[in-house]
Amino acid sequence: MPVPVRRIIHVDMDAFFASVEQRDAPDLRGRPVAVGGARARGVVAAASYEARRFGVRSAMPSVTARRLCPELIFVPPRFDAYRAVSAEIHAIFARYTPLIQPLSLDEAYLDVTEPIRPLGSATAIAEAIRAEIRAETGLTASAGVSYNKFLAKLASDHRKPDGLFVITPRMGPDFVAGLAVAKFHGIGPRTAARMAELGIHTGADLRRWDRAALIARFGKAGGFYHGLARGEDERPVNPDRTRKSLGAERTFETDLDALAPALAALAPLSARVFAAAAAAGHAPRTVTVKVKYADFRTVTRSRSFDVPIGSAAALAAAAEALLAPLFPPTRPVRLLGVSVAGLAPPAQLGFGL
Amino acid sequence: MKFKADRATLLKALAHVQSVVEKRNTIPILANVLIAVRDGRLSLTATDMEIAIVEELRADTKRDGAATAPAATLYEIVRRLPEDASVELDHAGGDAQLVLRAGRYTTSLVVLPTEDFPSMTAGALPHRFALPAQALRGLIDRTRFAISTEETRYYLNGIYVHAAESEGAPVLRAVATDGHRLARVEEPLPEGAAGMPGVIVPRKTVAELRKLIEDVSDEIEIALSETRIQFRAGALTLTSKLIDGTFPEYDRVIPRDNDKVLRVAKKDFAEAVARVAAISAERSRPVKLSVARDLLVVSAASPDQGTATEELEGGLVRYESGPIEIGFQARYLNDVTDQVTGDVEFRFADGASPTIVRDAADASALYVLMPMRV
Repeated sequence: MPVPVRRIIHVDMDAFFASVEQRDAPDLRGRPVAVGGARARGVVAAASYEARRFGVRSAMPSVTARRLCPELIFVPPRFDAYRAVSAEIHAIFARYTPLIQPLSLDEAYLDVTEPIRPLGSATAIAEAIRAEIRAETGLTASAGVSYNKFLAKLASDHRKPDGLFVITPRMGPDFVAGLAVAKFHGIGPRTAARMAELGIHTGADLRRWDRAALIARFGKAGGFYHGLARGEDERPVNPDRTRKSLGAERTFETDLDALAPALAALAPLSARVFAAAAAAGHAPRTVTVKVKYADFRTVTRSRSFDVPIGSAAALAAAAEALLAPLFPPTRPVRLLGVSVAGLAPPAQLGFGL
Repeated sequence: MKFKADRATLLKALAHVQSVVEKRNTIPILANVLIAVRDGRLSLTATDMEIAIVEELRADTKRDGAATAPAATLYEIVRRLPEDASVELDHAGGDAQLVLRAGRYTTSLVVLPTEDFPSMTAGALPHRFALPAQALRGLIDRTRFAISTEETRYYLNGIYVHAAESEGAPVLRAVATDGHRLARVEEPLPEGAAGMPGVIVPRKTVAELRKLIEDVSDEIEIALSETRIQFRAGALTLTSKLIDGTFPEYDRVIPRDNDKVLRVAKKDFAEAVARVAAISAERSRPVKLSVARDLLVVSAASPDQGTATEELEGGLVRYESGPIEIGFQARYLNDVTDQVTGDVEFRFADGASPTIVRDAADASALYVLMPMRV
């Protein structure tokens, strides 16, 4: 019996935090806006499209952003407001399907194979959702429609902002073939670099490798990459997924043995982790620093706070304080990592009546 | 139609009926009150098509007839008349204006045809019983805060009233829930209520009824069918439609095995919750209860504002089970403590499961709160 084709929608709000700020403060409209701290060690949590034209990106240090765009207006984040909008769009999704997997405050996968309100096609549902989001929140969203999560996410990115794109089962393999693997969700910059060394640059290149060879090179993930190259992705839309921790790490080309370069490497990791946690609406309470030595022995140091960590600077300071006592190291350091936990935002639980 | 009535009598009746009148109404006649004298008896009627309130009042009636006039205007006029005034209303019939005279004051009001005034028929109301006003107030006050305002779940937008059995005794039970908390209150089953269907009384009806019975000390007569309910208190009759829906099987969300029992003095606890929650800028104002042997710490943390804690111990707290931490919305806690007269008794299972709250001095009410993940 053939497996029925699933209908998956990926909805992604356009420049979410910045758009909420521009909606609520009319004088910010049409101007380059960065949500985040303007202070020396601040990080851009989100940038408006006007700011993106100057090259401003999220997770970028505020100083860099200001250099790229001197007129950039910094606005402090208002997570309450973002969470409120997020709840509104979630309520809109819930009119169509119970199978909603939020990835962050502004992004979610929806499985509409068996919709609550059938509108004839998944595309019609995606259009209806975009229209309702616009009417009820005054914000725009882009949507991708396809038969799995991987392609739905690629599709939503294809016509951004305020667009809709559909990848049908017939288009899927060709669409992937022409795409750079670095653009695949699930293939990070380092994996992409390793693939480049093997001559794998596009989906078509990746497709020439058989499953066993990819698993031999990339471990379990190799099987997943093998599927992606063919436009296949079996991962279900999982409505109960709650993230418990979030982290970033870096392996060095040359092992480190001094504190100064270690701190220099740690700062961007802290910034990235904080931006990712903020984007998900989380205020972390626990910071963990991981050090892997040249002999692959790993140590971690972690500290929890009573009050959630509210800024990238506070996270960076906490990470540095944890790292410093490990130097000078007993062996050369091969990898550094920063992760945060205690992430779940306060949420009212229900009876399920 | 013509009659004379005391200003105070008329004002009180107008106040009663005008509150049901929809303030923003698209159907003009629904803003009006129907004033009728039949067989020498005066009555005022107002309706929003869901609820109708009729009040009979003492008056010196001179001529039968009926007219409808804007309820809010009439109320404002009568309210501004001198306290001891005697008010005469005179309507010649048809589309003649309604003339109001009080001493040297006269006003003429435009009327709308009485034939257009919607009449709400109650139909047959086969189930009849009476409740002391005090008991009815208790049922309402201890459940109404939990009524859902989410319109998509219309079947939760009211109080579910039904006959049930509690520990072998027949009871009249009122239940309300919004999916996050539940309130269940019982009264001994009055005679005549045994065969009644379970009915969902809409939120607005509950609010109107509660205002009307504020000062009543007698019994309230209740009559109902599957679709209508009627309350009579003296000269007042409130008739309402019922919510046409099925109230969920609420029994399954009431935990049976919660065995961690905390008893805390109500006033100190309620005040501590409110004080600690003041730090939080979030709408939900989560507070955390950390309970250990005979110690309760109420705390709240806000990423922007800082933290607040308050410890309750000594004679105020009794707890003998293992330590537990659990979060609740401050408002949910205070809504319950507002209705508690003695100590507050919590029965926990763990930090993520439904918690039972009761009044240690009164077994007739039971509350279930879902915690917040904090």
